[in-house]
Amino acid sequence: MTTQEPQADPVEPAAPGGRAVIYSKAREAGVVAGLYLSSVAVALIVSAALVAITGGSWREVFSALLDGSLRAPGRWGDTLGVAVPLVFVGVGTVIGGRAGLINIGQEGQLTFGAAVAMYAGLNLFGPGPFALVAMLLIGLAAGAFWAGIAGVLLYWRRVPEVLTTLLLVTVGAQVVGFALQRQWLLLAPIEGRSSRNIVSEQLDPSRRIGRIELFGNEFPISVFFALAFVVVVAVVLGRTTWGFKLRMLGRNARTAQRAGVSEWRYGMAGLLLSGGFAGLAGSVMVAGGDFGNFRLVPGFAVNIGFDGLLVALVARQRPLLVVPLALVFAALRTGSGFLAATGVEREITQIVQSLLVLALLVPPAILFIRERRRALAAMTART
Amino acid sequence: MEALFSALADVFGTDVTYSSAARFAALLAFCALGETIAERAGTLNISTEAMILAGAFAAAVGFDMTDRVTIGLLFAMAAGLVIAIVHANLSHRLTANTFVVGLTLNILVLGLATFLNRNLEPYSKRAHVFEVPVLSDIPLLGPALFGQSWPFYLIYPLIPLSFWLLYRTRWGLEVRAVGENPQAADVSGIDVNKRRRQGVYLSGLTSGLGGGYLLLGQVGLFEEQIVGGRGFIAIAALIFGGWTLRGAVAGCLLFGAVDSFRLSLPTVGYEVTAEVLQALPFVVTIATVAVFAHRTRQPAALAQPFIRGLT
Amino acid sequence: MSDTLDEAGAGADPVPAIHLHGIDKRFGAIVACDNVELCLSRGRIHGILGENGAGKSTLMKIVIGLVSPDGGEVHIDGTRRFIRDPLDAARYGIGMVHQHFSLVEALTVWENVILGEAGSLDRKAARRRVIDISEHYGLGVDPDARVADLPAGVRQRVEIIKCLRRDPDIIIFDEPTSVLTPAESEQLFAVLRTAVQDENKAVALISHKLDEVLHSTDEITIMRAGSVVAHLETSDATAAGLARSMVGREVSLRSEAAALGLVEEIEALSEHHEVTSSEAVPALSMKDVVVRGSDGSSALDGLTLEVPAGTIVGVAGVEGNGQAALTEVLSSLSPIAEGTISVAGRPVVSGRAGAMARAGVAVIPADRHDSGCVLDMTVAENLFLIDIEHVANMGFYDQANMNRRAHELIEEFEIQTSGPGAPFFTLSGGNQQRVVLARELSADPQVLLADQPTHGLDVGAIEYISGRLRKVADDGVGVLLISSELEELLHLADTIVVLFRGRIVGQMARDEVDLERLGMLMGGAAEVGAGE
Repeated sequence: MTTQEPQADPVEPAAPGGRAVIYSKAREAGVVAGLYLSSVAVALIVSAALVAITGGSWREVFSALLDGSLRAPGRWGDTLGVAVPLVFVGVGTVIGGRAGLINIGQEGQLTFGAAVAMYAGLNLFGPGPFALVAMLLIGLAAGAFWAGIAGVLLYWRRVPEVLTTLLLVTVGAQVVGFALQRQWLLLAPIEGRSSRNIVSEQLDPSRRIGRIELFGNEFPISVFFALAFVVVVAVVLGRTTWGFKLRMLGRNARTAQRAGVSEWRYGMAGLLLSGGFAGLAGSVMVAGGDFGNFRLVPGFAVNIGFDGLLVALVARQRPLLVVPLALVFAALRTGSGFLAATGVEREITQIVQSLLVLALLVPPAILFIRERRRALAAMTART
Repeated sequence: MEALFSALADVFGTDVTYSSAARFAALLAFCALGETIAERAGTLNISTEAMILAGAFAAAVGFDMTDRVTIGLLFAMAAGLVIAIVHANLSHRLTANTFVVGLTLNILVLGLATFLNRNLEPYSKRAHVFEVPVLSDIPLLGPALFGQSWPFYLIYPLIPLSFWLLYRTRWGLEVRAVGENPQAADVSGIDVNKRRRQGVYLSGLTSGLGGGYLLLGQVGLFEEQIVGGRGFIAIAALIFGGWTLRGAVAGCLLFGAVDSFRLSLPTVGYEVTAEVLQALPFVVTIATVAVFAHRTRQPAALAQPFIRGLT
Repeated sequence: MSDTLDEAGAGADPVPAIHLHGIDKRFGAIVACDNVELCLSRGRIHGILGENGAGKSTLMKIVIGLVSPDGGEVHIDGTRRFIRDPLDAARYGIGMVHQHFSLVEALTVWENVILGEAGSLDRKAARRRVIDISEHYGLGVDPDARVADLPAGVRQRVEIIKCLRRDPDIIIFDEPTSVLTPAESEQLFAVLRTAVQDENKAVALISHKLDEVLHSTDEITIMRAGSVVAHLETSDATAAGLARSMVGREVSLRSEAAALGLVEEIEALSEHHEVTSSEAVPALSMKDVVVRGSDGSSALDGLTLEVPAGTIVGVAGVEGNGQAALTEVLSSLSPIAEGTISVAGRPVVSGRAGAMARAGVAVIPADRHDSGCVLDMTVAENLFLIDIEHVANMGFYDQANMNRRAHELIEEFEIQTSGPGAPFFTLSGGNQQRVVLARELSADPQVLLADQPTHGLDVGAIEYISGRLRKVADDGVGVLLISSELEELLHLADTIVVLFRGRIVGQMARDEVDLERLGMLMGGAAEVGAGE
């Protein structure tokens, strides 16, 4: 047995002058950092300019965002609460992305999952905690089902999933809207609401996700579940043969097919999981209380699905990065609640978010091209 | 079943159906024409939605500033082009993932349009209706094809123009080559990524114009949900049409007709649940593409980035 | 005029059509061209010989404007010119017939022919031009046919028309015969002769096949490691001498003779390989296999084939006669419509992910980037693509264990890489191929399918891979070798079968190979006589 041996790397090419290597590595890191900093700076400057053009003050906006997300009493708890569904959506999207799938319909999967979970939560029998777990799992299954439609169409009829997942967002919203208009489905009885309000009944307190109070901030305990969840996904994707095969499928489907990774099994699993976690995000929103006060309302998803997708796009298939990014996006969202005082429309945060995403696309693309060019130059010379 | 047939018969008996079908089809066609050319060059461009929305908003601003529809439409095309320039250069110069770029642009433009709309509140109204003499008197089809607001008629020259561009010019030949076999095109001396960028630019121009038409020729006043997924239906239309212009136009007519049922079923007196009507175009689109997509052949290099020497 | 010109010999005319003077090109640390001198003269065919990687392709890419040189000058008809892109090259009367990748299958012949030109699109004129050229050189090409529907030989002719359409003064042929039957090659050289003699064109023929260069050129330049190492009249050349200059040492090994395309040498050197297989159950058996393409045509049309354990069965045939479908089927990439496939006597389901690999079919695909590797994964990961369970425990794989095992394979197969963690795409083609080979062989297969395993590799790598194939067969694996290079088949295979239009039309033991009959079978001429 040689397992105790330390990892040696004898093929590592002899470094021609250690100092030169360290220097060039430091310079490389500098280039990378510079690229990221400058593109983020450009995104922020454009956003600031937009604020200034429309008559606002970017200093005030920045300060209001900070107040709303962090500094004002109780706000960082809210930010944590908002980050939870973003993490679920983001991590789910990362799983799908590893399998090479472009699921952009999380908003629909989330809405559908939330509605089905709500229905379950209102109608299931049994003691609270069990009903809560069952309700979350049912929400997960519903989200997976909604994504699964696109999966079947993709692998059976070759319809691009990028198209169907998105078209299903609208369909999902209409299905949920339909259910919300029917008392036998989700609509609360007339006694429980003011006459024209379209809302569901409120979830029974025993079936809500518990909340913790800390330093005057309150947040749901699902925060911890989300963190644990991210770690599990990171391990599964990075350390298991299943994660390995999923990645193989995403990078080269034909090689994967030859190697025994069937797209029906693995690709479908990736899509179901990514939809499922969007559905779970919806259920957590319903049962967590940070959205809609334990009631389902029209437009319940409030773009959490799309924001979670953006989180995943920036994380570029690395699950652990989802957490800090979800926090940033959640902070922008909770911060935007304080923007009214500055006279700047809250949509500015949506703009900042997407500009950040675009800006963060640029450095890896440049680095990728550079790396490929180097490898290519070395290769062309030999053939 | 019988009720359905009689409903369909009633719907097809009213000229409202044809008029609104033609309007929806025209919007889809504006987008699908440019989009087809972009896809034939190898870009599955999902930022059409953003291009239409940007076009619609810019048209509102342009009209508000000058009170002229023509200027509004020019603004619309310019706005679509700006989105296209961002998209094309990110994905065909820097080779960033085209779906990521497209999706982000969709969200960005939605935010921008909402934000600016609240701040600027541009005023606009519909362009005047121009009835082509004699032709517009044809029963049923006359008002639909020749009794529309005047920006509608821009689609008529645009269709043959696109045909000519894609199938009769050297540029079109190169676009088709680039989408099928970029390596071969490159060796033959064609700048692959340049042609692809140009394809996206063209898509931006026509989709922007589509947005301008949507606002000034159809709706009148800007609101954030004005596009409502039509960009994606346009993409579905061209998939339905097997990536040919002819098929794409047929797809636009079909999906335009479905969209018009949403409006005309209630007007002829049928009680259909609002949500079912709203979801109808999307469900039909998905179902139709599911039936037809696997029979068609997509451009061989669709959605595959090109970096010289890398295969 | 530099004194190097005088070496060109008696036949050269005073002002060459093109003169490359002191060309340098380096890619990073690697020198592709080092102070290269080359003259192409009118009315002569100039063979440019060298192994893969000698710099001849780079040199020609410089001439055609696809690569810009770091130093040196290009003179055309005595005037210094700068060639920035293929359009510039065309303007100066330079045309190139590409080896691969230059035709768009979905377009028609005439569309392909005018691709990359400037000016407006004139269908009539373009078609007329195609017809004219086709008639003038006796090529027989229909301008309205879709390239996708044409066999490889005709596609090559389309490439030639594409080159000749601008009436170039200088024509470069890049490995033109690799997709042709022997008869088609001869026809091609006849056309070349006509163009050179009647129209006073200057032609460069790039090749790594000695035979071809000896038979069809007027003068020869030999490149090695980026430099010109010899320049002589073809009449003064001998095969042995050329081979020596090309490789840089005495050529004695049989495999090198094969790599250099010396058919006679192979026959002279031929050693008898004892076929030990008398087992009743063949390693691979395919019976009446039919594979339908997406358009309903048959890619394989009743193919029946047996590969006994311990032998190498070579599949000869012109590209596009079902080789790709055969590889796809044995890679579980496409299902068969009819027939049966069994490995070591056990039937295998086709088209189900990984079924062939599990049954013991190892594959070295013709295009490893297509189905043989994952470019964005590491070398170690690529070594365990199929066998990840092997380095895993309870579904978790152990990175350290994987790297250690990868190390062993890297050493055993002499793969040059910075380590198991290096991204696969940083490897050179030869080393990528070794990774594929290492992975496929370490799975202890019953059958090894090698589809053009040495294509595009340098002599060292070819020799290595050929040796490996031989050894695998000696170890009792049934090897199916698909190759478009007859020399390779003659060198390696124990039995040669001929694939034509999706079925096997002839079979012969290596010792009984009749080159003429083989060529006719490949062209589809002697289908009936195959059994006699």
